[in-house]
Amino acid sequence: MEITLLAFFAVGYFVLAGADLGIGMLLPHLGRSCDERGRVLASITPLFMSNEVWLVAAAGVLVGAFPLLEGELLSGLYVPSVALLLGWVVRDAGIWLRGGVDRAAWRRGCDGAVVAGSWAVALSWGFILAAMGERSVTGSAAIVVPAVAALFCAHGTAFAGLRLGGAPKARARRLSGASGERLVYALTSGGMALVCLLAGSRLPLAENLADPATLALLTPALLVITPVLVASQVWLWRVFDRAPIRSQ
Amino acid sequence: METLDLARLQFALTAGSHFLFVALTLGLATLVAFMQTRATLTGSAVHRRMTRFWGRLYVINYAMGIVTGLVMEFQFGLVWSGLTHFAGNVFGASLAMETLTAFFVESTFLGLWIFGWDRLNRWAHLGVLWVVTLTAYASAYWILVSNGFLQNPVGAEVVDGVLRLTDAAAVLTNPAALTAFGHILCGALVVAGFFVAGVSAHHLRRRTEEQEFFRRSLRIGVFTALPALMATAAFGGVQFGTAQPMKLAVYRGAAQEVARLQAETAAAHGPGDYAPPAGLVQGSATTMMILFALMLLIAGLNALLALFPWAVRRLRIWHVLLTAAVPLPFAAMLAGWVFREVGRQPWVVYGLLTTQDALGELSPGAVRFSLAAFASLFGLLIAVNTWMLARSARQGPAATETGHVPAEPLPAPAF
Repeated sequence: MEITLLAFFAVGYFVLAGADLGIGMLLPHLGRSCDERGRVLASITPLFMSNEVWLVAAAGVLVGAFPLLEGELLSGLYVPSVALLLGWVVRDAGIWLRGGVDRAAWRRGCDGAVVAGSWAVALSWGFILAAMGERSVTGSAAIVVPAVAALFCAHGTAFAGLRLGGAPKARARRLSGASGERLVYALTSGGMALVCLLAGSRLPLAENLADPATLALLTPALLVITPVLVASQVWLWRVFDRAPIRSQ
Repeated sequence: METLDLARLQFALTAGSHFLFVALTLGLATLVAFMQTRATLTGSAVHRRMTRFWGRLYVINYAMGIVTGLVMEFQFGLVWSGLTHFAGNVFGASLAMETLTAFFVESTFLGLWIFGWDRLNRWAHLGVLWVVTLTAYASAYWILVSNGFLQNPVGAEVVDGVLRLTDAAAVLTNPAALTAFGHILCGALVVAGFFVAGVSAHHLRRRTEEQEFFRRSLRIGVFTALPALMATAAFGGVQFGTAQPMKLAVYRGAAQEVARLQAETAAAHGPGDYAPPAGLVQGSATTMMILFALMLLIAGLNALLALFPWAVRRLRIWHVLLTAAVPLPFAAMLAGWVFREVGRQPWVVYGLLTTQDALGELSPGAVRFSLAAFASLFGLLIAVNTWMLARSARQGPAATETGHVPAEPLPAPAF
């Protein structure tokens, strides 16, 4: 059960936040002017925080239900994990702060932070996924890192094709094909989920479960809260799929 | 420096930066929730504008709090794998509860609140903010359950070198967690009260257009800060009853008591230095107490002067004092945190696991790299946050009302 919960939140992160990351990586391609980049980012700003929080939840399940593994995994992959965190912070700060100052140079700087941070996160994921289960970065990283980065880009493009309009949409479509955006998005989502599950299946999860006395309390609590979490996210997505009401 | 010192410095830096943001976020969320409640119940336009203005400052600060919080969350596994190995069965579970029952809900609902102004009806929008505020409290509770366990490990026993949970209720009602929870919640309200009063005083002193708006805000800040400060002190006093004997002995400079506890601990755990560094423990506690006395004086004076409309309107020297006092509660918060954490040394789980043993196998080079990177990044974020807060605070409420809300990410026009 704990493994299913971990997989659920981890896959949720890769599918949802993976698209934001891909858009961040391809920001200079999707949006050519400052204004266009603003519109591209606006397609993810209401949702990026609630997407990323899936990873925080996955880390929570990991530390709660697999405490031994959490420590070994993270400290064994210290440098790529730190790089991932740094990229994450830089990227989020760029998204949050971009609208704060109405100057072109400020916005360019923030766009740069988003792009650099997104690439740092994606490349770090490549290293981490390649090394998972082996506790070291091996030769396979040479193949896995570019493949994972390409998958993030493809997924971001597919999402951009669904959410954007105008010239950025046309550019997104050039990569994903002219029709069937939903199908492309479904395929890239499947790819993200598959990569996540493949890497996760190499972890010795069953051997590292927390003590039964802890799980007897933790697991039921997590099972009760999970539908509430999913419902709150569904509400968020529905709210942002609706046009704004100007009632107040 | 050794790896241990580097790792401790990195943790102190991460926790300290995060705590600076969190203290204001937690208190300001509460005040904004009350403002919006009043606006929603009475249809009061000024309270609605207050919600917008103070809410914007809250969101700027929240954003920086969340990014430092992410780093905080991953620190335990990254650096202190000995702690997750030894205490994971207790400590890990409360962290897990924090991420799922608090952090996740809070982030999702904060997104709804920020971008929901024009998309949700006013009751739903108010409810969303209350969910954000209450989950922020829940978050603080779970974090303090985790920290309280490190201070005063109850409800668990050591089996084969690893802690096992024996009494969940004892962990959840640990006095070291509950008293700290009260202390920090009230402390956060002091931070927010001083902040709101200080920013309002700036506008009153400058005679900006928004006199009525800031007169009301100033009173809210002042009349929040005084009772919150007294409650903070009360919870702080109670905490002395739950603090470790060694911390108290070192704080009081009771040399005989320190020597006795040192001999006792050495007899039980083998040779070693079991007293925390006296300079830091006494220095941080004294700083906190002096700041408390100073704040009490200012808050008392504030509450008195705020009763006189002429003073609120044009006592400029008081306005200067109010604005200058904004950093005081932040400094007191940090000093209190240093007292709590350094005072527990050399233990990470008091009496059970030393900080040295909690450190994972890391190369000093790797920790030096991450410390330098996090230090520069957090330094930059604190500077940018302070600048953005000051800038938005100076701009006043008019900037939040044109429909264009510059400090927040732009709502998506492309949908």
